[in-house]
Amino acid sequence: MSTKATALIADDEPLLRESLTRLLAQTWPELQVVAQARNGRAAVEIFEAQRPVICFLDVHMPGLSGIEAARFIGRRAHVVFVTAYDQYAVQAFDQGALDYLVKPVELARLADTVARLKERLRAKPEIADRDALLDQLAARVYKNAAPALPPGLRWLRVSVGQTLRLVSADEVDFLRSEDKYTLVAWHDQAGQLADGLVRTPLKELINQLDGEQFVQVHRSVVVNLRAIKLVLRGQNETANIHLKYRTDVLPVSRTFLHQFKMM
Amino acid sequence: MTSTNTSTLREDLTRVFHWRRVKVMLATCFILHLLVLVGWLASYAVLVARVLFIGFAVLLAFGLFERWPARLPGWISRWALQVVAVAAAVPISAALAYAITTIGEPQHWWQTTGRLSGFGMMTVLGLLVSPWIAVASLLRQIKDEAHKQALKFELDRSQYERNALDARFRLLQAQVAPHFLFNTLANIRELVSTGSPRAAPVLESLIAYLRASVPRLNEPSSTLGQELELVQAYLEVMQMRMPDRLEFSVEADDYARAAICPPMTLLTLVENAMRHGIDPAEEGGSIEVRALVRDGRIRASVSDTGMGFVPGNGALPGLGTGLANLRERLQLAFGGDANLTLKENQPHGVRAEMDFPVRTGAV
Repeated sequence: MSTKATALIADDEPLLRESLTRLLAQTWPELQVVAQARNGRAAVEIFEAQRPVICFLDVHMPGLSGIEAARFIGRRAHVVFVTAYDQYAVQAFDQGALDYLVKPVELARLADTVARLKERLRAKPEIADRDALLDQLAARVYKNAAPALPPGLRWLRVSVGQTLRLVSADEVDFLRSEDKYTLVAWHDQAGQLADGLVRTPLKELINQLDGEQFVQVHRSVVVNLRAIKLVLRGQNETANIHLKYRTDVLPVSRTFLHQFKMM
Repeated sequence: MTSTNTSTLREDLTRVFHWRRVKVMLATCFILHLLVLVGWLASYAVLVARVLFIGFAVLLAFGLFERWPARLPGWISRWALQVVAVAAAVPISAALAYAITTIGEPQHWWQTTGRLSGFGMMTVLGLLVSPWIAVASLLRQIKDEAHKQALKFELDRSQYERNALDARFRLLQAQVAPHFLFNTLANIRELVSTGSPRAAPVLESLIAYLRASVPRLNEPSSTLGQELELVQAYLEVMQMRMPDRLEFSVEADDYARAAICPPMTLLTLVENAMRHGIDPAEEGGSIEVRALVRDGRIRASVSDTGMGFVPGNGALPGLGTGLANLRERLQLAFGGDANLTLKENQPHGVRAEMDFPVRTGAV
């Protein structure tokens, strides 16, 4: 019994998504391309919703990169990386025995990849743990290219109703403790406001976040310093935080007020 | 020539008793002592000792006044002082040599005819020879110094040429980025495969971009108009690749277009805006390129609405080297008369501004 072959294609360049879809239709007509994603974040969100068996991920995408997206997807799908010529990346892929395609994608090469994927789907859809490999890969590919990443958790997996959203730490306005969960309030690039739940208690989440960017202002509230418009001092050693993107006013309790003495 | 107060005693000694000088002195002493040897009555060792004593004293005088005093009054020149010192050192050291070698004798050395004539002989011979040797040595030093200066000048010049060459080489390297080329070709292939009517114009933009960028490396300057065409072609190619994420506009007045502009200055800024501003932003943004003339200067700007400076990270590393190279090229083209500044664009993004004097005419 074989799993029905479904695939997701993620690339920030629309023509290249079309190109791969078209080439796959030629080499693997039974494969159903269920969705196309225009960046890594969309790829993960679509993956969570539709659970395709195979993900073709462009390595270089804005926001969440292909490598980071693969880490979120984990062992739940076969991942094929797609990259424009890049000596470092190709070396890293070869050493890590990861599937990859080089852009512009050649039909013969794609046929090899397809054959290998079919074989894997037929045998047993057991996927090896790639985390360590992905870490190495990220280190090599981004060694020369990207600025050093700030420490701490960069992406939060937020549930909004039945869907999972990936929220960049930079977009978060504040976090509030809700029992075993944490409420995350954020704004997207267009300024749209949203909130959802993370399945981690705030107490644990605090430790994973970048301490330079996120500070606790109340027993149950953590705020992103970059989202603060102003801090108004009140009476009796209290203060209120006004945010840039929302009208919510966050109270600062006496215990945490010292953090704003310098501001 | 130059005097330093920090030179140590050890350095001074090695300079004063440099082996080359000592050799010359020893050779002179040898020849002169042969002349004195004719009719010498006392022991040979005493003769050698006296002659060598005088020789070293003269050498010391020459070396001493080479640096001391550190400042000379205007009416006396260093070389004259040295020659006079050398001449004066001869009789003084000769007298000292005789005095030292005759300690304990019943009579003073000048009371003995033989010794007095020996003293006279040595003094006359020394005075005849040593100032000339001093002058010859000084001339040789001047020649050496001139040679050293010429070498240094040559070295500086070749260093400068190499810097210019390096700057161009880095430009060449930066330009033929395989990542850009293969990604673009992959896009164009898709347009061709699907028979899209957009294929031809986009291919033409790529050709214009490649043609404009490659051969112009051999020319030190081109016009701002050419540079703007290159920028336009590049942005058209990028817009084909990310139609949903990039908007752009390029505007310049005609007077600005005719001005001379070092190749790939504006393009570097636009590529930076693309790479660090638009490309990492999920929703992309827009790039505005403007060039105009104000007060006899070109003012060109590239503003984007992309990621901007990453907060808490200071500057982007890639941006640093790209801009450093650009600054170097502007420096080579305009001396110090060009400025390049980067600031935050509101509400987000980066605005790069460049200004340099208007020059027109033969490219």
